[in-house]
Amino acid sequence: MNAERHEDLAALAALDLLNPAEQAEFTAALAQHPELATLAGSLRSTAAELAHAAPAAEPPAALKIRLLKTIAGDASAARAPIVTASRSTILPFPTWIGFATAACFACLAAYFAQAYFNQSALNSAFRDQQSLADLSLRSTKNQLAAERLIAQRELADAAKRASDSAALVTTLESRLAETKQQLITQGTLADYKIATLASLLGNSPQAVAVAVWNPSSQEGVLTVQKLPALAADKDYQLWVVDPQYSIPVDGGVFKVDPTTGEGRLIFHPNRPVQTVAKFAVSLERKGGVPKAEGPMVLIGP
Amino acid sequence: MPLLLSTHLSGYILWTNRVHGFEPARTIRRMKTEPTADLSDARHAADARLLGLVAAGDSAALGELYDRFSRPLYATALRILNDPGEAQDIVHDAFVAVWEKAASFETARGTAFSWVLTLTRNRAIDRLRSRRRRHELLETSALSDLGLDENSSGPGADSAASSSDQATTLRAAVAALPADQQRALKLAFFSGLTQEEIAARLETPLGTIKARIRRGLLKLRDQLANRL
Repeated sequence: MNAERHEDLAALAALDLLNPAEQAEFTAALAQHPELATLAGSLRSTAAELAHAAPAAEPPAALKIRLLKTIAGDASAARAPIVTASRSTILPFPTWIGFATAACFACLAAYFAQAYFNQSALNSAFRDQQSLADLSLRSTKNQLAAERLIAQRELADAAKRASDSAALVTTLESRLAETKQQLITQGTLADYKIATLASLLGNSPQAVAVAVWNPSSQEGVLTVQKLPALAADKDYQLWVVDPQYSIPVDGGVFKVDPTTGEGRLIFHPNRPVQTVAKFAVSLERKGGVPKAEGPMVLIGP
Repeated sequence: MPLLLSTHLSGYILWTNRVHGFEPARTIRRMKTEPTADLSDARHAADARLLGLVAAGDSAALGELYDRFSRPLYATALRILNDPGEAQDIVHDAFVAVWEKAASFETARGTAFSWVLTLTRNRAIDRLRSRRRRHELLETSALSDLGLDENSSGPGADSAASSSDQATTLRAAVAALPADQQRALKLAFFSGLTQEEIAARLETPLGTIKARIRRGLLKLRDQLANRL
């Protein structure tokens, strides 16, 4: 602490202007620097001289009389015996009550100071908690805003996917409808007529044929194996036996491979066929005939 | 009378080395343990001796002390409270306190007059604050109304000053101070304001106010010493 600071404190003390912190500082400085007390005393005495600068005023004479009466009453009641007898050990009543009052005030001051500091600490803690809560609230709000944006984006994506899926379903349903229509048009497998034709030839008993007939499309496929090779002026001719006609319906002519005896014919009867009773294959002259003339080589059930 | 004032002040204003230390030019001893014989200030010695008699229960000494101190004390209380009745109560109570506490006076803490003035001024300021009229007084009191202004038109100010050599010397010493230091000292002594309130009142930083009070008080001490 420098000299100027000492002078500051001493000057303020001389005018009773020290605040509590400065009072403590001044007390500590007095303990460390005994010479400071002299400075403080001189400045207090100087400050006291300012009283002479107040507008002069004469106290009424009655004031002195009143004072002396007070003193006389006090002295006669208690003070004089105490002062003359054992002033150092027994305090006069007014002094004692003053000390007691001061002690009470000191206790109250200490209590209220403690309460004040406790309340200040509590308020400070509350303020800190409120600041933290505000911070947390702002953080939560920011997080919610971010999550809302993400959710909106995800919702838009989901809506787009749903739209795409709906379009795909529509397409698939359309295709399914088309397929159903095709199936309806083509007929079901149960409606197909499949027949195996057995050989009637003594020299080729192993000859065989399979005929598949689709009544919806009035179309069929005939596959033959191990039929004897044909002469150049001959053809094999397929016949479809339908009870509604008196004679078998012409299914068309075909040839076979001379070496393997295999052949294949996609046939379209020249008349509408309602019910297939049998399939039959005959050996006819080349180009076929309207009504079977040659020998039967294969016949179905 | 100037001689009285000079002797009254000479015991505490000799401060020889403010910059390099606090070694006073004179040793002031406690009244209880050492007599005032070493003090060259006859007035101070007389005051201190009277106070010692009061401490011993001498009511006549109290009456004499009253005659020596009552005018400036009453003027100060009246200046602070602006109420003659209350000022009388304050002076009465202050002297009762002197009667009861005279034994606690220590010369090292100032002159007898400064001790009694402190008792009076503190009571006046406490009364001022307790009656909750401070704001009202602040509004109505002007600096020129604080008794130290040479241009003051306060009732009886000039005539009162001329009636006292001590007051004349003091006024001259105060007038020699810079105006801003005068204003700070006036408010500090008479208004009962705190440092902060003085700073606010003068619209000046607190540190500046402290510096003005310090410099003003030190200069006043030197001024009074030079006028001895």
